[in-house]
Amino acid sequence: MRHLSILGYYFAQYIKIRLAYPGDFLIAVSTSLAGTVASFGFLYILFHRVSSLQGWAFEELLFIYGFNLVCLGLFNVLSMNLYEFGERYIMEGRFDQIMLRPLHSLFQVIFEAFRIESFQEFATGLVVVGYVWHKLDLPLTPLDLVLFLLMTVCGVTIYLAVFVMLSSLSFWFEDRVGVSPPVFNMIAFGRYPVTIYNVFIQFLLSWIIPFAFASFYPTTYFLQRHEFSSFFALVPVVAATFVLLALFLWSRGVRGYQSTGS
Amino acid sequence: MKLTPYIAFARIAFLKILAYRLRYYTGIVTYMVNVSVYYFIWKALYRGKESLGEFTFEEMITYVSVGFIIRTFYFNNIDREIANDILLGHIAAKMTRPVNYQWMNIAQAAGESFFRLFMFTVPTALAILVVFPLRAPASLHSALAFLAALLFSFMVFAALNFLVGTCAVYLHSILGLIRAKYFLVEILSGLLIPISFFPDTLAEISRWLPFQLISFTPLMIYMGKFQGEELVTSFLLGLGWTLVLVGLGHWFWRKAATKLTVQGG
Repeated sequence: MRHLSILGYYFAQYIKIRLAYPGDFLIAVSTSLAGTVASFGFLYILFHRVSSLQGWAFEELLFIYGFNLVCLGLFNVLSMNLYEFGERYIMEGRFDQIMLRPLHSLFQVIFEAFRIESFQEFATGLVVVGYVWHKLDLPLTPLDLVLFLLMTVCGVTIYLAVFVMLSSLSFWFEDRVGVSPPVFNMIAFGRYPVTIYNVFIQFLLSWIIPFAFASFYPTTYFLQRHEFSSFFALVPVVAATFVLLALFLWSRGVRGYQSTGS
Repeated sequence: MKLTPYIAFARIAFLKILAYRLRYYTGIVTYMVNVSVYYFIWKALYRGKESLGEFTFEEMITYVSVGFIIRTFYFNNIDREIANDILLGHIAAKMTRPVNYQWMNIAQAAGESFFRLFMFTVPTALAILVVFPLRAPASLHSALAFLAALLFSFMVFAALNFLVGTCAVYLHSILGLIRAKYFLVEILSGLLIPISFFPDTLAEISRWLPFQLISFTPLMIYMGKFQGEELVTSFLLGLGWTLVLVGLGHWFWRKAATKLTVQGG
């Protein structure tokens, strides 16, 4: 509870910072929205000549893409500091300040900054998912809604866990850029049915960097592709496992942290 | 216009980036990931089909791969750098220099691109060649014309970025604008899908825009699909758009510079 109210303060504080320039914020949101809409251009152009991708219809791919955007949008709102963790917190020594406060260090790092305009990705994703749900006349029971919510939480959690692990590496290796960019690009892999990939990439996306569990597998239940139901059932397990791994790695890093003294 | 100071800017940019060469190793992996995603998507789309549009599967993979390979060359962050200059106030010191701000940025980007050519483009090309079956340029003639067309890729991309960067004078943050431009260029330059694949109206619109010169035009030249008259037209377009965009940037910057407010610095 205490954490929740502190989170509220962090968020309110950050909103104030961003709304100091309301015109700019509006432009940031609308250009960000334009970017998201344009990113659907790829699917649209591709499918105006081809009717399906290995048995997956355009609408189904839209659903996966939309669901991915829901999770990714929320993750983007929260992940702003993770990318710059190595530079901002370790190299510039800001982590000292974090250590002095009586709150979990990871909580502080994640919630100190928000990429607020990414809420539009979340919203756009929901609109797309809703559209396909309606268009394909997919069943919608209260249980489906609960599962959708659960899958969204799991998806966001998996992304956060993976990138927290990568940021933790900054405790041992001082590097400004780190290994995040190629991993971030791999999120794109998860936006398509894993069956189009070769065995190596399927394995990688499922068990090493489990992005397929954050976008493709969760959608298979709603799209009634029951051949993936065992993967669907594993989504929360994978999310929980990776969170534990991430927390473990992070706390190991914190324990060995030596200030740069700046 | 004296050229010497601009060559010096290019040289310093080259040396500065040499210090950060580590990030290019992860860059190579990033590009490999990109090419792999599109390889598998196209493979799935081509299943059971000889060709789509005017492209065979092998040609499409060559198109996408070479597209990403040349992106390692023409890409630059002029827009981000201008925004940073303005945000941090470095702009004040830079404007006192007796050089043209636009050309200073383009020269720095050229120095970076020259560096990338050896440290990034060549290794990425080699890595991709090992994994994916690429076709060689259609002919020696096509290869040379392709290299010349890359010059326009660079200039159009740089001039566009300068225009976007200059918006930072009026806006507090141009990150959203940069993001929108990123996706727009990715699609309309034909990097991900050849423009000849677009729905007719979108293809027609794209032909009247400068973005095609960044990726589609050089790639079509590489594959020998633009020859003779089409080749001449594309070079004239390249020259025309470069002049227009650089001219526009010059005018926009002159106008924006009078509105510039620097917060300390």
